[in-house]
Amino acid sequence: MSKTSRNPMDLVDRYLHAVGFWLPKAQQHDIIAELSEDLRSQIEEKETELGRSLTETEMEAILKQRGRPLLVANRYLPQRSLIGPVLFPIYWFVLKLVALFYLLPWILVWIGLMSFSPSYRAEHTSAGWLGAIGSAWSAWWAIAVFAVGTVTIVFAVLEQLQSKSRFLENWNPRKLPPARNPNQIPRSSSLIEVVVNFAFGIWWIDVMSTLIPLDRPEIRIVLSPVWRYFFWGFLFLALVNAVVGGVNLARPYWTVLRASVRLATDCTASALFCWMFKASVIAEITGAKIPPAHAVEITSAINLGMAKVFPVVLATGVVIAVVGVRRILRVRRAATVQLTEVSAVVA
Amino acid sequence: MTNGSQTTSEIFENLKLELRRGCLTLAVLTQLRTERYGYTLRKALADDGLEIDEGTLYPLLRRLESQGLLVSQWREEDKRNKRFYRLSPVGEQILEQLLGEWQRINTSLRKILQEA
Repeated sequence: MSKTSRNPMDLVDRYLHAVGFWLPKAQQHDIIAELSEDLRSQIEEKETELGRSLTETEMEAILKQRGRPLLVANRYLPQRSLIGPVLFPIYWFVLKLVALFYLLPWILVWIGLMSFSPSYRAEHTSAGWLGAIGSAWSAWWAIAVFAVGTVTIVFAVLEQLQSKSRFLENWNPRKLPPARNPNQIPRSSSLIEVVVNFAFGIWWIDVMSTLIPLDRPEIRIVLSPVWRYFFWGFLFLALVNAVVGGVNLARPYWTVLRASVRLATDCTASALFCWMFKASVIAEITGAKIPPAHAVEITSAINLGMAKVFPVVLATGVVIAVVGVRRILRVRRAATVQLTEVSAVVA
Repeated sequence: MTNGSQTTSEIFENLKLELRRGCLTLAVLTQLRTERYGYTLRKALADDGLEIDEGTLYPLLRRLESQGLLVSQWREEDKRNKRFYRLSPVGEQILEQLLGEWQRINTSLRKILQEA
């Protein structure tokens, strides 16, 4: 049968059938009967106006104006969502945490391992770099789908519980966390910083200023000469951090200068750590009860272990640097806003 | 012209939809002081200048009926089965309250608009 020779009312029946498909069985018949009646009334009115039966094209126009069957049916259905508007902001916040603290570090560690661990690189680039990237991408993708899926399922369950018990409606304003200025530095943390750095400095000078930090009959550890750089480097950083902590104690708000000093010390500390983990700092381990061959094995195992941890140290350093840069940007933004407000008041 | 991800006309359409939503319920309840079936109700509203598409009207009628504000009955008219709606006693009470509220809002808005 050709398209033009079809009975135009056939389109209406097909349309109503398609709408009915998406409706709940209990209401299907009732809704379709009413929709059908409304459609037929409209068609009848139009036919009376034109003085003839409607063509298939005219019928099609009427149905198109009414909308896609799924959308029409959807208007009769209750509003449903896997995660509703009450929980959605928390769900989104948790997803961002998962991305920041789980998925991003995974990528950074992978980049670190591929860049600085020859054994890992050799093991994973046997099929070429593209193959390595492809397999890492598929592994990361599987982890991401699992993480996002797990969070989504947990929140979907919470949504069901919330819709039944409304547990989120029971809250107490007194239990809200205190409003905190992110640029304010808690005096308690500044005090701890001063004390810890001061104590560290004393211990560091007392124990680590020599190349033989441990010299007992049962065990003797000798560090390589390169240790001198780490000793002075970490001592200098402890001193700077204690001074910054002291200034922060007196003036408990970040400034661009102090935030920049903190970023510089953090980056320097990260660089020193990275270097230390790669530098084979332990020259020798000996002991009365340790056979010389075993002592050499222990020494190289520790140095090798430290070198293997290097990518993790590097990734941590990158995260710390990003946090430091964000802090500077936040302080600058706050300073700009204050300046604008002052200008507005003066104007 | 855009503002964020929405164009100005989209923002206007959304706000208009919000503004109309409550008014439509009021208009439908008022019209159903007299018994009507869906199609004639839609025509009556359109004749008074309030166009409402069937995709909005019929789900609204069902919701109002499930809330007990309307009662309906299938009846044959002009050799066709039609579903007739009218206001229930509870619906009449609620309508009076809603009209009172609408008058208050209207008075306040007029006042605000005159002040502006």
